[in-house]
Amino acid sequence: MGYVTAEAPTRVELATCVQCGLCLPHCPTFRLTGLETASPRGRLMAMSAVLEGFAEVDDVFVEIIDFCLGCRACEAVCPGLTPYGRVLEGARAEIATQHPTPSRRLRRWVLGRALATRGFVSAATAVAAVVQRLGATWILPAAVRRSFTGLRPLAGRERWIGRSAEPVADPLGTAALLAGCVMDPWFSSVHEATVGLLRRAGYRVVVPEAQTCCGALAAHDGHASEARRMARRNVAAFAGFDLIVADAAGCSAHLKEYGHWAGDVGGAMAERVRDVTEVVAELIADGRLPRSELPRGPVAVQDPCHLRHAQRVVEAPRTILRAAGYEPVEIDQDAMCCGAAGTYAILRPDTSLELGRRKADQVRAAGSTVVASANPGCEMQLRSLLGPAYRVAHPVELYWEAVVEMAGRVPAEVDR
Amino acid sequence: MSLQTDLIGLLGTDRVLASGLDRYLYGKDAGVYRGEVTVVALPETTEEVAEIVRIAARHGVPVVPRGAGTGLAGGAVPLGGGVVVATTRMNQIFEIDAANRCAWVGPGVINLDLSRAAEPYGLHFAPDPSSQSACTIGGNVANNSGGPHCLAEGSTVNHVLGLEVVLADGDVLVVGGKAPDPIGLDLRGILVGSEGTLGIVTKALVRLTPNPPDVRTLLITFDSVEDAAATVSGVIAAGLVPAALEMMDQRMTQAVENWLGAGLPTDAAAILLAEVTGDTPAVEAEADVIRAVATEHRAREIRLARDEAERALLWKGRKSAFGAVAQAAPDYYLHDTVVPRTKLVETMREVYEIGERYGLTMMNVFHAGDGNLHPLMMFDASEPGALERVHAAADELVELCVRNGGVLSGEHGIGKEKRDLMHLMFTPVDLDAQARIKEAFDPEGRFNPEKVLPAGSRCFDFGRPIPEGAWI
Amino acid sequence: MSVADAFRSFTRASAELAAVVPPAETVLAPSGVDELAAVMQAASDVRARVLVWGGGTHQGIGHRVAPDIVVSTSAFDRVVAWEPDDLTLVVEAGAKVDTVEAMLADRGQTAALPEWGGPATVGGIVAAAISGYRRLRYGPTRDRLLEVTIVTGDGRVVRGGGRVVKNVTGYDLPRLVAGSFGSLGVVVSVCFKLWPLSGGSATVAVDDPVRAAETLFRPVALLETPDGAYAYLAGTEAEVRSEAERVGGAVTEGFVWPDPPSGETVWSLRVPPALVPDGIGRLPAGWSFVAEHGVGHIRCAGRFDPEAVAELRGWAEEMGGAFVLEDADDDRIYETVDPWGTPPTGLTLQRRLMAAFDPAHVLVPGRLPGGR
Repeated sequence: MGYVTAEAPTRVELATCVQCGLCLPHCPTFRLTGLETASPRGRLMAMSAVLEGFAEVDDVFVEIIDFCLGCRACEAVCPGLTPYGRVLEGARAEIATQHPTPSRRLRRWVLGRALATRGFVSAATAVAAVVQRLGATWILPAAVRRSFTGLRPLAGRERWIGRSAEPVADPLGTAALLAGCVMDPWFSSVHEATVGLLRRAGYRVVVPEAQTCCGALAAHDGHASEARRMARRNVAAFAGFDLIVADAAGCSAHLKEYGHWAGDVGGAMAERVRDVTEVVAELIADGRLPRSELPRGPVAVQDPCHLRHAQRVVEAPRTILRAAGYEPVEIDQDAMCCGAAGTYAILRPDTSLELGRRKADQVRAAGSTVVASANPGCEMQLRSLLGPAYRVAHPVELYWEAVVEMAGRVPAEVDR
Repeated sequence: MSLQTDLIGLLGTDRVLASGLDRYLYGKDAGVYRGEVTVVALPETTEEVAEIVRIAARHGVPVVPRGAGTGLAGGAVPLGGGVVVATTRMNQIFEIDAANRCAWVGPGVINLDLSRAAEPYGLHFAPDPSSQSACTIGGNVANNSGGPHCLAEGSTVNHVLGLEVVLADGDVLVVGGKAPDPIGLDLRGILVGSEGTLGIVTKALVRLTPNPPDVRTLLITFDSVEDAAATVSGVIAAGLVPAALEMMDQRMTQAVENWLGAGLPTDAAAILLAEVTGDTPAVEAEADVIRAVATEHRAREIRLARDEAERALLWKGRKSAFGAVAQAAPDYYLHDTVVPRTKLVETMREVYEIGERYGLTMMNVFHAGDGNLHPLMMFDASEPGALERVHAAADELVELCVRNGGVLSGEHGIGKEKRDLMHLMFTPVDLDAQARIKEAFDPEGRFNPEKVLPAGSRCFDFGRPIPEGAWI
Repeated sequence: MSVADAFRSFTRASAELAAVVPPAETVLAPSGVDELAAVMQAASDVRARVLVWGGGTHQGIGHRVAPDIVVSTSAFDRVVAWEPDDLTLVVEAGAKVDTVEAMLADRGQTAALPEWGGPATVGGIVAAAISGYRRLRYGPTRDRLLEVTIVTGDGRVVRGGGRVVKNVTGYDLPRLVAGSFGSLGVVVSVCFKLWPLSGGSATVAVDDPVRAAETLFRPVALLETPDGAYAYLAGTEAEVRSEAERVGGAVTEGFVWPDPPSGETVWSLRVPPALVPDGIGRLPAGWSFVAEHGVGHIRCAGRFDPEAVAELRGWAEEMGGAFVLEDADDDRIYETVDPWGTPPTGLTLQRRLMAAFDPAHVLVPGRLPGGR
């Protein structure tokens, strides 16, 4: 039957793979299993096999494609420039259409609808906060229990969506912040640091009310029409802003691909999107944000895949941490995935745990109890495995603390 | 019981793959051939490999070993079905013996992983094929892999001290060891480069080489390919064997630069990457020799890598060249031949002429210091007749190199690709002798059949005339 | 047909040569490859035991062979092709090591063949896989062997390898032939990879050769004899000077090689490289030796003492090495001690390989380990 949707991997895309195999050692699932079928080259060949009519979108194909973390480490090392992340989402869209299991239907609703609905997320957060406060994790499904323990305290967080804040330095322009589906209710202190730093550098910060979830999780799972709908909504919500900032690496990576999800207007928006680490590192380099003289000791740097591999941002978080007075410690020269990988931690808990343990071991070996990670999924994974003796935080949070300390006070109260 | 059932009995369902898609994925390496797989087995121990070989023998099916599948000559592509033994899970480094500068490793250990593991001891594994970040030691041993730094350090065979190998009857044999010059016939030498046709290597004792105290890497730009080639010949003739001496022509440089952005000169007709290693006075002096020879041959620019980061970037560009080709055309065909270094200039000229004659874009990136050419032809397989033209041009390339005193392959192996060209280099008597070696190891032809030697090689009966064309 | 009859028509060796080889029915010196092939064919036909003779310098290695005929390679002494600009040399097997090296040295090159070559022939050095002192830098002889042509036991002329520095075309026949002691065929010509000789070279006395092995990058050799230890350095003059200073010790310009040890018996002790100091310490009192640090080889010589030999061999084999008799004043010693020691595993396979080249088993029968 081959492929049936417009999202399907194309012949031109797949032909960029010449099977050289340079991706293999960078693939976490290949490293774990040694299987060709668990390697990027194998997955691309499987996609080609369906395209050429040698295989179908059946259980075997689904297993091959779904075992992928979507970390895109392969893409970063591919000299043939194979658009792996794109064709993976295309293959998943085919699976979602041709092979819609109950679990996938549920995910289509959760990732494609519920996350885009603020009320739903708020209600879920409220329930989760109660569970968290009571320590009643036993009532949660086993698959989410571990991830849950990686959450920050949920209670009492204020949402940023719909707010704006004036600059506290020479005006530099306006920056729009992606609130995010769960960033806002669960990780609002990252937003606080982001907004604080942008203001301090001279930006007026706006968090547009009309925005929604970026759609990354829906896209990764193959729910293309939902992902497109979310992308279109955000294109409208962020129209007119010259700088659009996201402070979750998974979100910034996805926003940068809006050209695919929302056509030309999406592409125009994508060009204005930056991850917060890129922006802040540049502001530090420009002297608009300060460098701390106070040494704060080592910090282990965990590179989120969608920052390092998808966006190729490597230096920025390190620059920021150095400016905060930390001494960045490298934990993994290959920057292999920590196993969180969005919904992967819930869908494939065993593989996720194995990769997470490796990452946690790398952190422990680095000899620092502070870990910097620029993505919420990675943060939860690391916190759940490292336990309370370790502090896991976003690099801009660590830097913001240093900036506040340098200033001796919290900059002017955020405008409502 | 079926073959599959027996294998599952040994390895469990996780390590035996037999679905249509599994078999499709294992039916190909990094080259152009697709074969036919009956079942894939993923052993983890020597004993499992031995038992797989016995099971295969019981069922009368071939056994084809496979590492990372980065080979280009079809060596790991099973031609007539059979059990593909993927060694990727045999990836243990058993011992790093720094005092004796060697390591016992599983065949599935990735080349670069070994060098990384040896780094704390100031050692590395010298053979560095361009695929070194992915290819396995087992594959290196099977193909006697080379790499840029084999110019001074020699190919894999010079770095294999011992091997543990499963033979055709399932027996396990250990040859060589940490002491030099093992007594009896040196079976290491014949096993290395045998492309899985004589046995399956289950452990290798490899030499580790001290990391050089200092290094100089030069990027030299030329306005003509011939000047670059003449520089290579000139450097060797000047009595210098650099650590590496690599060449890339313009099209290849452009493809690499497009991906890497390393600041390679995309307007140059050819670039040379030259590296010398050793103590500081030595590398300074040797770099001067190379500069002088290059200048004499009209080098436009000579750039010295400033630091380790720039050096690493230049090498990354060189080693990713083949993959980068995918940007230029949907398909490519890569050759691997060697000519004496004194014949580089004229051979290169003829290589481009062949490309023009067949209307094929020819790109070149190769180990110039060894005379090891890698002409690469771009084409689109979906275009009618394209593949035929490529094959015809490829055969002509090989003939050209042999005519110029060269050989069929310098490091990629014969596999299926060049099997039927062996007669260009060897007489029927030579081939018969090779076939007898194969027969001594593997009388039933169990291991990787139809590779290396053309069909009918073992037809030479001494004293009787050979039927004409029988070995072609 | 008697053995003598079978070989009547072939070229005889000189009387001088016939006087030094072991007693045999006939001593031949075939004039060319075709004649050699005919000789071998005849030998196979009449099942005549053949001993191949080059310079006779390493005939002491291995079990004794009582030959019916001795075949000398003395007529094969031409330089076939020397490509100085490609650093390759094709030379016939009977060429003398010293002659070849002297010729190469004129153009500043070397094949890194044994420094004590003397009358040794290229073919003999290859057949016995003997490496010179410079192997620490240039690798063992088998690493520099690019191509080989042999005449098999049944008279086939077989070539393997190629005349370029990098080659994976077909099975690596040259490596199989290296160290085969003539059991696969008579070596008639070989191609070597050459190395340029460096501008500067020096022999430097060192106190601690083990430390020198760790600190020096690619020394040419690190030898120790009862008289002391020396580092052999090569490179640009500046490089040699700076390295020599680093090692510290009396410097002599150029290479001063030790004489090979001699005595009632000569042995080759092969152990993992790090065990060389231990090996030196275990040598019987009064033995002379040249130890190659970094290589794991100690050539040693002295009075034959069965007990000491057994002890040393036991240790070497336990360490994964060997203790091989290379020469003895009296052939009877070969009857009291196995010249090789414990044979390697896989003898059946070795036997089958020999049969592939020498189906009638006429070439040096019994000379190799296990009496094969």
